[in-house]
Amino acid sequence: SEMSKDMMPGPYPRTPEERAAAAKKYNMRVEDYQPYPDDGLGYGDYPMLPNKSQYERDPWYQWDQPDMRHNWGEPMHWNFDMYIRNRVDTSPTVVPWHTMSKHFLLFLSIMLIMFGLGEIYPSYRPVGPKQYPFNDLYLERGGDPNKKPPAVIHYEI
Amino acid sequence: MASAPPPSAAELYRPNRYVSLPAELDPATYDTSPEKLRAEAERLAIRSRLKRQYLLQLNDPNAPAIIENPALIRWAYAKSQNVYPTFRPTPRTSFLGAVYGLAPFLFWIFVLKADRDRKEKRIQEGKHKPSPLSVFL
Repeated sequence: SEMSKDMMPGPYPRTPEERAAAAKKYNMRVEDYQPYPDDGLGYGDYPMLPNKSQYERDPWYQWDQPDMRHNWGEPMHWNFDMYIRNRVDTSPTVVPWHTMSKHFLLFLSIMLIMFGLGEIYPSYRPVGPKQYPFNDLYLERGGDPNKKPPAVIHYEI
Repeated sequence: MASAPPPSAAELYRPNRYVSLPAELDPATYDTSPEKLRAEAERLAIRSRLKRQYLLQLNDPNAPAIIENPALIRWAYAKSQNVYPTFRPTPRTSFLGAVYGLAPFLFWIFVLKADRDRKEKRIQEGKHKPSPLSVFL
Protein backbone atom coordinates (compact mmCIF):
# COMPACT_ATOMS: atom_id res chain seq x y z
CA SER A 1 0.00 0.00 0.00
CA GLU A 2 1.04 3.60 -0.21
CA MET A 3 1.66 4.19 3.48
CA SER A 4 5.06 5.68 4.23
CA LYS A 5 7.58 3.99 6.49
CA ASP A 6 6.93 6.28 9.42
CA MET A 7 3.24 5.38 9.42
CA MET A 8 4.07 1.72 10.03
CA PRO A 9 4.90 0.18 13.41
CA GLY A 10 8.56 0.40 14.35
CA PRO A 11 10.94 -0.40 17.20
CA TYR A 12 10.28 0.32 20.86
CA PRO A 13 10.16 4.06 21.55
CA ARG A 14 12.95 5.24 23.85
CA THR A 15 12.67 9.03 24.07
CA PRO A 16 9.51 11.01 24.95
CA GLU A 17 9.51 12.51 21.43
CA GLU A 18 9.39 9.01 19.95
CA ARG A 19 6.54 8.14 22.27
CA ALA A 20 4.59 11.23 21.24
CA ALA A 21 5.19 10.47 17.56
CA ALA A 22 4.11 6.87 18.06
CA ALA A 23 0.94 7.95 19.89
CA LYS A 24 0.09 10.30 17.04
CA LYS A 25 0.78 7.54 14.51
CA TYR A 26 -1.63 5.17 16.25
CA ASN A 27 -4.33 7.86 16.72
CA MET A 28 -4.12 7.78 20.50
CA ARG A 29 -3.59 10.35 23.21
CA VAL A 30 -0.01 10.56 24.50
CA GLU A 31 -1.21 9.75 28.05
CA ASP A 32 -3.19 6.74 26.81
CA TYR A 33 -0.32 5.33 24.74
CA GLN A 34 1.48 2.56 26.61
CA PRO A 35 3.72 0.25 24.56
CA TYR A 36 4.39 -3.34 25.53
CA PRO A 37 7.42 -3.73 27.83
CA ASP A 38 10.67 -4.02 25.90
CA ASP A 39 11.29 -7.72 26.46
CA GLY A 40 12.60 -8.58 23.02
CA LEU A 41 9.47 -10.60 22.28
CA GLY A 42 8.75 -8.77 19.03
CA TYR A 43 6.02 -6.28 19.97
CA GLY A 44 7.98 -3.15 19.00
CA ASP A 45 6.08 0.05 19.65
CA TYR A 46 2.60 -1.43 19.31
CA PRO A 47 0.30 -0.04 22.04
CA MET A 48 -0.84 -2.25 24.88
CA LEU A 49 -4.62 -1.90 24.98
CA PRO A 50 -6.80 -3.32 27.81
CA ASN A 51 -7.55 -7.01 27.32
CA LYS A 52 -11.26 -6.66 26.71
CA SER A 53 -13.20 -8.53 24.07
CA GLN A 54 -15.37 -6.83 21.47
CA TYR A 55 -18.43 -8.13 23.30
CA GLU A 56 -17.94 -5.53 26.00
CA ARG A 57 -18.31 -2.61 23.62
CA ASP A 58 -21.57 -0.74 23.41
CA PRO A 59 -23.97 -2.63 21.11
CA TRP A 60 -26.10 0.47 20.49
CA TYR A 61 -23.40 2.86 19.28
CA GLN A 62 -23.08 3.35 15.52
CA TRP A 63 -19.79 1.63 14.86
CA ASP A 64 -18.21 1.93 11.40
CA GLN A 65 -17.95 -1.87 11.36
CA PRO A 66 -20.90 -3.07 13.46
CA ASP A 67 -20.06 -6.78 13.45
CA MET A 68 -16.55 -6.13 14.75
CA ARG A 69 -17.68 -3.19 16.93
CA HIS A 70 -14.66 -1.31 15.64
CA ASN A 71 -14.23 2.18 14.20
CA TRP A 72 -12.11 3.12 11.20
CA GLY A 73 -8.62 4.08 12.27
CA GLU A 74 -9.04 2.98 15.87
CA PRO A 75 -5.97 1.08 17.17
CA MET A 76 -6.69 -2.65 17.22
CA HIS A 77 -5.71 -4.91 20.07
CA TRP A 78 -2.72 -7.19 19.43
CA ASN A 79 -5.04 -10.18 19.86
CA PHE A 80 -7.92 -8.57 17.98
CA ASP A 81 -8.72 -11.74 16.06
CA MET A 82 -9.08 -13.60 19.35
CA TYR A 83 -11.40 -11.02 20.89
CA ILE A 84 -13.99 -10.90 18.10
CA ARG A 85 -17.54 -11.78 18.97
CA ASN A 86 -17.33 -15.33 17.67
CA ARG A 87 -14.43 -16.19 19.94
CA VAL A 88 -13.16 -15.25 23.39
CA ASP A 89 -15.55 -13.19 25.49
CA THR A 90 -14.32 -11.39 28.59
CA SER A 91 -17.65 -9.85 29.60
CA PRO A 92 -18.11 -9.55 33.36
CA THR A 93 -19.97 -12.51 34.85
CA VAL A 94 -22.76 -12.37 37.41
CA VAL A 95 -20.80 -14.52 39.84
CA PRO A 96 -17.07 -13.78 40.37
CA TRP A 97 -14.67 -16.09 38.58
CA HIS A 98 -12.99 -17.41 41.72
CA THR A 99 -16.37 -18.40 43.23
CA MET A 100 -17.41 -20.18 40.05
CA SER A 101 -14.16 -22.07 39.70
CA LYS A 102 -14.19 -23.04 43.39
CA HIS A 103 -17.74 -24.43 43.15
CA PHE A 104 -17.01 -26.31 39.96
CA LEU A 105 -13.74 -27.84 41.11
CA LEU A 106 -15.17 -28.85 44.48
CA PHE A 107 -18.13 -30.56 42.83
CA LEU A 108 -15.99 -32.30 40.23
CA SER A 109 -13.38 -33.49 42.72
CA ILE A 110 -15.96 -34.77 45.23
CA MET A 111 -17.83 -36.67 42.51
CA LEU A 112 -14.65 -38.19 41.11
CA ILE A 113 -13.39 -39.21 44.56
CA MET A 114 -16.69 -40.83 45.43
CA PHE A 115 -16.83 -42.72 42.12
CA GLY A 116 -13.27 -43.87 42.64
CA LEU A 117 -14.02 -45.08 46.14
CA GLY A 118 -17.05 -46.91 44.77
CA GLU A 119 -14.81 -48.73 42.31
CA ILE A 120 -12.27 -49.73 44.94
CA TYR A 121 -14.82 -50.75 47.60
CA PRO A 122 -17.95 -51.87 45.72
CA SER A 123 -21.08 -52.42 47.77
CA TYR A 124 -24.17 -54.35 46.64
CA ARG A 125 -26.74 -56.88 47.94
CA PRO A 126 -25.40 -60.46 48.32
CA VAL A 127 -25.64 -62.42 45.07
CA GLY A 128 -25.18 -66.11 44.14
CA PRO A 129 -24.71 -67.93 40.82
CA LYS A 130 -27.77 -68.07 38.56
CA GLN A 131 -29.78 -71.29 38.74
CA TYR A 132 -31.18 -72.70 35.48
CA PRO A 133 -34.18 -75.13 35.35
CA PHE A 134 -34.51 -78.46 33.44
CA ASN A 135 -31.23 -79.89 34.75
CA ASP A 136 -29.22 -76.83 33.79
CA LEU A 137 -30.99 -76.59 30.39
CA TYR A 138 -29.65 -79.96 29.31
CA LEU A 139 -31.74 -80.31 26.14
CA GLU A 140 -31.41 -76.63 25.13
CA ARG A 141 -27.64 -76.85 25.38
CA GLY A 142 -27.55 -79.70 22.90
CA GLY A 143 -27.71 -82.70 25.20
CA ASP A 144 -28.69 -86.10 23.79
CA PRO A 145 -32.50 -86.61 24.25
CA ASN A 146 -32.18 -90.38 24.45
CA LYS A 147 -29.73 -90.39 27.34
CA LYS A 148 -30.76 -89.61 30.89
CA PRO A 149 -29.51 -86.15 31.88
CA PRO A 150 -27.38 -85.73 35.01
CA ALA A 151 -29.66 -84.66 37.82
CA VAL A 152 -29.08 -81.08 38.98
CA ILE A 153 -30.88 -80.18 42.22
CA HIS A 154 -30.76 -76.55 43.43
CA TYR A 155 -32.59 -76.98 46.73
CA GLU A 156 -32.17 -78.67 50.05
CA ILE A 157 -34.98 -79.94 52.17
CA MET B 1 -5.28 -0.94 66.77
CA ALA B 2 -7.51 -0.01 63.84
CA SER B 3 -8.76 -2.81 61.62
CA ALA B 4 -8.51 -2.57 57.85
CA PRO B 5 -11.52 -1.11 56.00
CA PRO B 6 -13.87 -3.79 54.62
CA PRO B 7 -12.86 -4.95 51.11
CA SER B 8 -14.49 -3.01 48.32
CA ALA B 9 -16.83 -4.71 45.89
CA ALA B 10 -14.19 -4.48 43.17
CA GLU B 11 -11.68 -6.29 45.38
CA LEU B 12 -14.23 -8.97 46.21
CA TYR B 13 -14.92 -9.53 42.53
CA ARG B 14 -11.21 -10.07 41.63
CA PRO B 15 -11.21 -9.54 37.85
CA ASN B 16 -8.62 -11.64 36.04
CA ARG B 17 -7.50 -12.59 32.57
CA TYR B 18 -10.84 -14.18 31.67
CA VAL B 19 -13.39 -11.67 33.02
CA SER B 20 -13.17 -7.94 33.43
CA LEU B 21 -14.62 -5.78 36.15
CA PRO B 22 -18.23 -4.69 35.54
CA ALA B 23 -18.60 -0.97 35.04
CA GLU B 24 -20.86 -0.62 38.07
CA LEU B 25 -18.13 -1.81 40.45
CA ASP B 26 -15.35 0.23 38.85
CA PRO B 27 -14.72 3.48 40.78
CA ALA B 28 -13.54 5.15 37.57
CA THR B 29 -17.13 5.31 36.26
CA TYR B 30 -18.19 7.48 39.16
CA ASP B 31 -15.38 10.02 39.14
CA THR B 32 -16.31 13.26 37.38
CA SER B 33 -13.09 15.20 37.88
CA PRO B 34 -12.11 17.82 35.29
CA GLU B 35 -9.06 15.78 34.22
CA LYS B 36 -11.28 12.90 33.30
CA LEU B 37 -13.62 15.19 31.41
CA ARG B 38 -10.71 16.72 29.51
CA ALA B 39 -9.36 13.26 28.66
CA GLU B 40 -12.79 12.19 27.42
CA ALA B 41 -13.06 15.36 25.33
CA GLU B 42 -9.67 14.72 23.72
CA ARG B 43 -10.60 11.14 22.92
CA LEU B 44 -13.89 12.31 21.45
CA ALA B 45 -12.02 14.82 19.28
CA ILE B 46 -9.75 12.08 17.91
CA ARG B 47 -12.70 9.78 17.35
CA SER B 48 -14.76 12.36 15.53
CA ARG B 49 -11.83 13.35 13.31
CA LEU B 50 -11.38 9.72 12.27
CA LYS B 51 -15.11 9.28 11.74
CA ARG B 52 -15.21 12.38 9.55
CA GLN B 53 -12.37 11.04 7.40
CA TYR B 54 -14.12 7.71 7.08
CA LEU B 55 -17.53 9.13 6.22
CA LEU B 56 -16.04 11.50 3.64
CA GLN B 57 -14.49 8.53 1.87
CA LEU B 58 -17.61 6.39 2.27
CA ASN B 59 -20.03 8.92 0.78
CA ASP B 60 -17.69 10.21 -1.90
CA PRO B 61 -19.27 9.78 -5.39
CA ASN B 62 -15.82 9.42 -7.00
CA ALA B 63 -14.95 6.95 -4.27
CA PRO B 64 -12.19 4.35 -4.52
CA ALA B 65 -13.59 0.83 -4.44
CA ILE B 66 -11.92 -0.17 -1.16
CA ILE B 67 -11.47 2.17 1.78
CA GLU B 68 -8.31 0.84 3.36
CA ASN B 69 -8.07 1.04 7.12
CA PRO B 70 -4.58 2.18 8.22
CA ALA B 71 -5.16 0.69 11.67
CA LEU B 72 -5.74 -2.72 10.11
CA ILE B 73 -2.65 -2.39 7.89
CA ARG B 74 -0.54 -1.38 10.89
CA TRP B 75 -1.92 -4.31 12.93
CA ALA B 76 -1.15 -6.83 10.19
CA TYR B 77 2.32 -5.36 9.66
CA ALA B 78 3.08 -5.34 13.39
CA LYS B 79 2.10 -8.98 13.78
CA SER B 80 3.93 -10.27 10.74
CA GLN B 81 6.79 -8.11 9.52
CA ASN B 82 7.66 -6.14 12.62
CA VAL B 83 8.36 -9.14 14.81
CA TYR B 84 11.76 -10.12 13.42
CA PRO B 85 13.33 -6.61 13.52
CA THR B 86 12.17 -6.03 17.07
CA PHE B 87 13.10 -9.47 18.38
CA ARG B 88 16.06 -9.65 20.73
CA PRO B 89 17.53 -12.83 22.21
CA THR B 90 17.18 -12.55 25.99
CA PRO B 91 17.29 -15.36 28.58
CA ARG B 92 13.51 -15.45 28.60
CA THR B 93 13.06 -15.58 24.84
CA SER B 94 15.77 -18.23 24.48
CA PHE B 95 14.10 -20.34 27.16
CA LEU B 96 10.68 -19.96 25.57
CA GLY B 97 12.11 -20.76 22.15
CA ALA B 98 13.68 -23.96 23.46
CA VAL B 99 10.50 -25.02 25.26
CA TYR B 100 8.08 -24.33 22.42
CA GLY B 101 10.34 -25.00 19.48
CA LEU B 102 12.81 -27.74 20.34
CA ALA B 103 11.14 -29.67 23.16
CA PRO B 104 8.12 -31.08 21.27
CA PHE B 105 10.40 -32.17 18.41
CA LEU B 106 12.83 -33.98 20.70
CA PHE B 107 10.02 -35.41 22.82
CA TRP B 108 8.28 -37.01 19.87
CA ILE B 109 11.58 -38.30 18.47
CA PHE B 110 12.25 -40.21 21.68
CA VAL B 111 8.69 -41.41 22.17
CA LEU B 112 8.29 -42.75 18.65
CA LYS B 113 11.74 -44.34 18.65
CA ALA B 114 11.07 -46.10 21.97
CA ASP B 115 7.72 -47.33 20.69
CA ARG B 116 9.25 -48.71 17.51
CA ASP B 117 12.07 -50.41 19.43
CA ARG B 118 9.57 -52.06 21.74
CA LYS B 119 7.54 -53.32 18.79
CA GLU B 120 10.67 -54.61 17.06
CA LYS B 121 11.67 -56.51 20.21
CA ARG B 122 8.20 -58.06 20.38
CA ILE B 123 8.32 -59.11 16.74
CA GLN B 124 11.71 -60.74 17.21
CA GLU B 125 10.48 -62.57 20.29
CA GLY B 126 7.56 -63.76 18.21
CA LYS B 127 4.82 -62.15 20.29
CA HIS B 128 3.48 -59.84 17.56
CA LYS B 129 2.78 -60.94 14.00
CA PRO B 130 2.08 -58.07 11.58
CA SER B 131 -1.09 -58.73 9.58
CA PRO B 132 -0.73 -59.89 5.96
CA LEU B 133 -2.31 -56.61 4.80
CA SER B 134 0.27 -54.45 6.58
CA VAL B 135 2.69 -52.60 4.33
CA PHE B 136 4.94 -51.52 7.23
CA LEU B 137 7.22 -53.63 9.39
